[in-house]
Amino acid sequence: MAKNKGYIALFLIPTIILFVVVYAVSIVILAGTSFTEWATGTKPVFIGLSNYIKMFTDDSDFTRSLINTVIWIILQSTAHVFIGVLFAIILNMKEFYWKFARTVFMIPNIISGAAVGMLFLCILNPEFGAINSIIRLFGFKDFSQNWFMDYRTSFFSVTMTWLPYAAVVTILVLAEIAAIPEGLFESARIDGASEIKVNLYIVLPLLRNIIGTCVILSGTSMLQKLDIIMMTTGGGPGNQTMNLPMYIYKTALMDNNFGYSNTVGTFLVVFGIVLVLLYRRIFKIGNSDT
Amino acid sequence: MKKPVALLLASLMVASLAACGTNTVSESTTSAAVSTSTQTSAQTGAEAKGPVTIKYPTYRVGTHYSAAFEKEQIAKFNEKFGNEVKVQVEEIPSDTAYNDKMKILAASGDLPDVVMGKNGINEILIKGNLATPFNEYLDKDSEWKADIGDEAIAANTRDGKVWSISDQKQVIGYFYNKEMFEKAGIKPAETWDEFLANCDKLKSAGFTPLALMTGENAWTTNLMLSSIVGTSGEAGNKFMNTLHPASFETPEMIEGLKKIQIMLKKYTTKDAIGAVYANAANNFEQGKAAIIANGPWMIGDFSDKSKSPEGFDKKVGVAAYPGSGAFLSYEVGYMIGSDAQDKKDAAAKFIKYKTSAEGQSIALELGNVLPVSDKVQPSEEFKQKYPVFVETIDVGNSAKVKYQYFDTIVFPNVTDTWKNLYPELAFDKLTAEQFAKKLTEVAAKNK
Repeated sequence: MAKNKGYIALFLIPTIILFVVVYAVSIVILAGTSFTEWATGTKPVFIGLSNYIKMFTDDSDFTRSLINTVIWIILQSTAHVFIGVLFAIILNMKEFYWKFARTVFMIPNIISGAAVGMLFLCILNPEFGAINSIIRLFGFKDFSQNWFMDYRTSFFSVTMTWLPYAAVVTILVLAEIAAIPEGLFESARIDGASEIKVNLYIVLPLLRNIIGTCVILSGTSMLQKLDIIMMTTGGGPGNQTMNLPMYIYKTALMDNNFGYSNTVGTFLVVFGIVLVLLYRRIFKIGNSDT
Repeated sequence: MKKPVALLLASLMVASLAACGTNTVSESTTSAAVSTSTQTSAQTGAEAKGPVTIKYPTYRVGTHYSAAFEKEQIAKFNEKFGNEVKVQVEEIPSDTAYNDKMKILAASGDLPDVVMGKNGINEILIKGNLATPFNEYLDKDSEWKADIGDEAIAANTRDGKVWSISDQKQVIGYFYNKEMFEKAGIKPAETWDEFLANCDKLKSAGFTPLALMTGENAWTTNLMLSSIVGTSGEAGNKFMNTLHPASFETPEMIEGLKKIQIMLKKYTTKDAIGAVYANAANNFEQGKAAIIANGPWMIGDFSDKSKSPEGFDKKVGVAAYPGSGAFLSYEVGYMIGSDAQDKKDAAAKFIKYKTSAEGQSIALELGNVLPVSDKVQPSEEFKQKYPVFVETIDVGNSAKVKYQYFDTIVFPNVTDTWKNLYPELAFDKLTAEQFAKKLTEVAAKNK
């Protein structure tokens, strides 16, 4: 037993070293400098809670970014996961098309965010984009909607670049469904349960843990979303599609205000931790199903 | 069986970590050795020293219009001075990525030896005292000083310190499609009212008048706005020659924004809002728009068959902006970011070559870049190949009103803001007055 503990410690050392060097030190520096006024080329000057007070009381861009981030987290945790789970259940029926459909559904998830951004810039281009061209085919000859830059459609357009592509959720849920003992399905069918009832009353309740995990993964992915926004709208028009990562980027590298940027960064880290804890509590992740 | 495998895995992990550490140590040992050897060499004579390695990140790569001359300059420099200075080129294929990387490296105190100071990078380096002024190098080398010229040196001097060496002059008018102008029965406008009337005539003749874009730094749109403001009278011209204006809520700016709003709504391509430079350039070069505001580096594209139809270069004319206006400014150019003296000297040597008469000549012939020195003149072959380039110089010389463009005078966060505000202006979410107010607020945020 003592020898096993030695091995455990030995295997943990690299991870601990990496965590301390890459994450812990960075987070401490991030939190420490969030209480300072700091721009490139100057030394950080301690200013207490001023940055935090400004962030919560006098920064409409931060408020807008936070609201957008929260909306996207909610959409990603609900609609995105719902699409992924639904698709997994459909694929699990193992109809003739299931392998083909699974592969096709996976494609947007294996392309880099920047490439997806470029792809959508072309698809939604007001002049030659596929969407406008299709609409023109239906008789609207002069139709030209600037999907990303018109403030009436920009938020929706950006959201559609990631919301429907839930292949990761589908794959995880499919794997979990495969682990459900076949006997349960057989018993239900012998008792005359329809396919819908099997899915509703047997499959879905047993997927609670994995759905919770998917909600955490999908929801928190919105705390890192930067590449597609940067490629498509840059947070605009105005601050219509600005989220917290984009705002941090702009504050640090455009305003050259690293102190304030780190304040928003610290908020984002804390926000992420609270979010994960909240989801764990809602889905009782780790608790036994029985 | 499990134990040996576990031990092997653990050893491999520890070894890989150790290897990373060894690498770092090895690099720093080398640096230390170089540093020690440099000190010794400095005492015993430079000839014993090996080449000093300098880091030079550049965005002038791939399809960038400056890639050809950049490659040639570096090759020529290596040919001449390779035994003294080894240039370690890092290719960063995007201006934005370059800007971001330099700002992060400046924040972490790890700047490369040679830095291009555009888009506010120079301001950060100057404010933080992270660059080395060129005064001593220039004082020791009168020939180099003459190659750059007093005006270009003055443009990059603050409180008597020359912080960067400019490698090119910007003289910018606008290009127009002569065939479209002829069909619309117009000639280059002399007033902005006439300019807008010309746009109407072009539109009536079936052409889209302007190749504008509001993405990236809204370059072609902002050249128009700068010109409207710069030619609007003494106050507007002063504004367009002021470094870091704090307030944009001036009558000239508001009037200019109102005109731009009209242009974005009525006279440009459908994809202009949100478009990047490449879209606007393509619209002009493919004959989808009659006018584009841009500099002489674009001239090469007009005869490049991969970008323009054959014979397009014959259709292009160049004109001064209404009110006889043209841009005249010097690029920020190169800065020294090194800490160690030997690296500073090596960086200065590299910059000196790039900005020497020879370096400028390469940039002119291969990149259509206007040299900072009057001593450097285009070859006869070049003049025949690119007659529009000669016309551009004439336009610059004959323009009565000169001014700079926004990218050179405003804070970097303002440059980054245009792309978010122009769509709101075009879709009537913002008025010109509100737009100007927002710019003022953004400028105040800059640290």
